[in-house]
Amino acid sequence: MLIARHITKNFGSFRAVDDICFEINSGDIVGVLGKNGAGKTTLMRILTSFLAASSGEVIIDGDDVSKQSLKVRKKVGYLPEKPPLYDDMTVQQYLKFAAEIKDVQSNRRRLQVAKVLEECHLDHAKHKKIATLSKGYRQRVGIAQAIIHEPKLLILDEPTSGLDPMQIKEVLSLIKNQRNQRTVLLSSHTLIEIEQIAQRVLMIKSGRLVLDSSLDEVLKSKDPAQSQPLTLDQVFISHHQEHLTQPLRAGDE
Amino acid sequence: MNKIIALTKKELYSYFSSPIAYIILIATVSLFNVFFYLIVEQNREVALRDIFQLMEFMFVFLIPLLTMRLFSEEKANGTMEFLLTAPLTHTMIVMGKYLSMLTFYSILIGLTLTYYMIIEYFGAPDLPSILSGYAGIWLEGAFFIAIGLLVSSWTSNQIIAAMVSYVILFSLYFSTSFAPYFTGPMADFFTQLSTRTHLENFAVGIITPSDLVYYLSGIVLCLVLTRFSTNNKLWQ
Repeated sequence: MLIARHITKNFGSFRAVDDICFEINSGDIVGVLGKNGAGKTTLMRILTSFLAASSGEVIIDGDDVSKQSLKVRKKVGYLPEKPPLYDDMTVQQYLKFAAEIKDVQSNRRRLQVAKVLEECHLDHAKHKKIATLSKGYRQRVGIAQAIIHEPKLLILDEPTSGLDPMQIKEVLSLIKNQRNQRTVLLSSHTLIEIEQIAQRVLMIKSGRLVLDSSLDEVLKSKDPAQSQPLTLDQVFISHHQEHLTQPLRAGDE
Repeated sequence: MNKIIALTKKELYSYFSSPIAYIILIATVSLFNVFFYLIVEQNREVALRDIFQLMEFMFVFLIPLLTMRLFSEEKANGTMEFLLTAPLTHTMIVMGKYLSMLTFYSILIGLTLTYYMIIEYFGAPDLPSILSGYAGIWLEGAFFIAIGLLVSSWTSNQIIAAMVSYVILFSLYFSTSFAPYFTGPMADFFTQLSTRTHLENFAVGIITPSDLVYYLSGIVLCLVLTRFSTNNKLWQ
């Protein structure tokens, strides 16, 4: 579904993404982990064709993102870190507009809007102005616009950022429900969320991919000091310590 | 084309869902009405020439207020990312926004068509000169909107967008005033650069190819530059 080959992105002399390679199969839910500023958002912006990579290539469902950008965008749903919403529109108007610009056929638009309203539990809020919605609802509207055109690949940049625990639960459940319909790539620095929904983890540090593994494999690995399975938290911390080659010591958090 | 219409409708909805559009329409037309009365009362002639020149001056002030938000707001709210990752071309986005503002401007101009009916009631106005005057003021507004749109694509700050648009529009409007300080080609350059020079002909019923080329090439140039400005490669 997604092949990223040697992606590098420079902003002047600063290298935000450094020679990243990975592949994602259809139907996978993949979590991208990394500290703030690690390069997650830049990577996602390259995958969605919002930014052009300085070098490397991205192939989504057989199409090159840089050469067949419009074709690729029809196959990708994207929720940026800040949901891109128009406050003066109602939820329904906004989704109808999103359907129009995302090539949903006119005879299917009404049905498709109704479908995502139901799927994202927004039915009762469809006539509300977006400006009046809570953060959790805004996030759900953001996800609704990302899936309105039935994309094959859904890219979510920190979809639970700034939400309260109940809202996080709702949004994660919404993402889990996408599992059987499309491939999902989501970024987060909240490890427990990735543990709950992802099958695979990509970890980025200073623009470099430092871990690409299935979640099961990561969690099976043992802490040599304690012979206990590692948590994703511990794996994350170990990869962000200066001496990556040192085994994790007991009590490290 | 459907996507351009969707973008245009979205922009117009955004304007008309707040009181701003109505306030601008009512305030501008009311002001035009007062000046229309004063000019007709003073000149005692069935012509709209002076009204068109007054409109031109008013639009130098008004249009940056209309255009300042077009791209700046999208950039500030993060919705530019939504548009640029949707299956839309840059040209569609630019044209959708441009046509929305042109529609709003056309409504504003359309509301002043009553002036023709009023002066026709009192005399026999020269219809061709009035029609060419309206064509001129519409083209001039279309040019100003294209400039405002271009400037709005440069920044996420609406105030900066309005201020830079004012500088450009005032420079174009007043450039003919600099002509007397120069001779030869430079004097011609400043005269021809001025929007006042070109609207004068339209206002008295003369449509020349050079005036049409001035406005149309200005509009096309600004729209093409806006298209390149919105190309996210330039933001990198």
